[in-house]
Amino acid sequence: MKAQVTGFLKNIVNIKGTNKGLLIQLNDMTSYTEMLDELKKKVSDPALEGDAEVQIQLANRHYSQEQLDEIKKAIQDNSKLKVIGTKCDVVTVEECNRMISERQSETYVGIVRSGQVVRAKGDLVVIGDVNPNGRIEAGGNVYVLGRLKGIAHAGASGNREAVIAASWLEATHLMIADEIETMTDELDSLLEQPEMECAYLHTSGKIIIDRLQELRFLRPQISTFKGGS
Amino acid sequence: MGEAIVITSGKGGVGKTTSTANLGTALALQGKKVCLIDTDIGLRNLDVILGLENRIIYDLIDVLEGRCKIHQALVKDKRFEDRLFLLPAAQTADKNDVNPEQMKELVDSMKEDYDFILIDCPAGIEQGYKNAVAGADRAIVVTTPEISAVRDADRIIGLLELEENLDAPKLIINRIRPHLMEAGDALDVNEITTHLSIDLLGIVPDDERVISSSNRGEPVVMDPSNPAALGYRNIARRLLGESVPLMTMDKPKAGMFGKLKSIFTSK
Repeated sequence: MKAQVTGFLKNIVNIKGTNKGLLIQLNDMTSYTEMLDELKKKVSDPALEGDAEVQIQLANRHYSQEQLDEIKKAIQDNSKLKVIGTKCDVVTVEECNRMISERQSETYVGIVRSGQVVRAKGDLVVIGDVNPNGRIEAGGNVYVLGRLKGIAHAGASGNREAVIAASWLEATHLMIADEIETMTDELDSLLEQPEMECAYLHTSGKIIIDRLQELRFLRPQISTFKGGS
Repeated sequence: MGEAIVITSGKGGVGKTTSTANLGTALALQGKKVCLIDTDIGLRNLDVILGLENRIIYDLIDVLEGRCKIHQALVKDKRFEDRLFLLPAAQTADKNDVNPEQMKELVDSMKEDYDFILIDCPAGIEQGYKNAVAGADRAIVVTTPEISAVRDADRIIGLLELEENLDAPKLIINRIRPHLMEAGDALDVNEITTHLSIDLLGIVPDDERVISSSNRGEPVVMDPSNPAALGYRNIARRLLGESVPLMTMDKPKAGMFGKLKSIFTSK
């Protein structure tokens, strides 16, 4: 893979046109400063006219946030090009571990009582009730096999796609990412049919409650199950 | 070797002290040797309910600070010969004058001499609560059929479950008014126990004579005809390991005519 990329990139900096705008490929084998100088030279070429949008392909080199900012600045100061995204083929161990823990699911068996807080970095499965003033928080989705009568926060680290699902959704407060819904008005209608419900963040920015069965259409990406017949 | 049981609730005014006095008395009536410890330092009133206020000489703080021996501070209830004792709280100190280690040491040292040590816990979840729980082997949570009391019970159960040397807490539902429960205006026994999901130790019906007898300094449990007394006596028997069915709340009794009517309408 690496050999292929570097073999392909004979130049230190390559600028290609694609149907989605320009693509700047940076060689990952040369020194950083050499690459940066070359980049400045290439983008200030008067032949590159117009204010096209560019993607930067970083290949197999890890750049710090400062370096990325420097690269963007080098492009935007020397041309009218607008950087709309970067694509890197490597991540740090730290980032990787964070991504793994965010994808993992933690299980809590027991009752989350008043004043207690249960937190998980990834998804959280609570088997038991969450009593009023009890709080559950997850970086990912929250699933309660029991009565959710307290406070639930899904996507606590900012994931707006996260959902809250419960066998009985009778929560006092629902939170997804940085949105909050106090369940005062909803509660009356929910009390009639609180079973098997899920809450998600609608594109309008409001938390919406729907039947659990709708989740497969609303958030198909939650399913990680592969195969089957 | 006796057991130490803390009686707690989180919320104030649900009947911790009344329950402590009545359960202690009921256990003494069953022939057990019981010591009641009032840990509500600064706001003591277990002594008043037992009618022992005038006989206090030393208190809990005096014992802990070494100003007297335990046996000097204990107030004996003469109605029960040598079976019921009270270790009163101090009224001139506050809860921060005691720490949990001292309490644990004290309770442990007393366990050999008694079958039961009942510790009356103050309201709240601060220092006073921590002191009361420190020496206990078991916990009883008192609540009433009110949402606020049940919320606080839930909080306190959560804290009790974190204590490693305590058995799973048991529940007493106090001040039950059957007509409110039947009308759906108060939480019913089932709702409360499923919400809190701990074992129910017993229920105590609301009765005016609980108040009047407390004012006289005679725990209501001494009057065997009283429904609240029956509730407490049943709980005491369950504490002793007997299996006693849950008392049924008596509905207003049907008169002669009502009885006849029910015979004709039922098939």
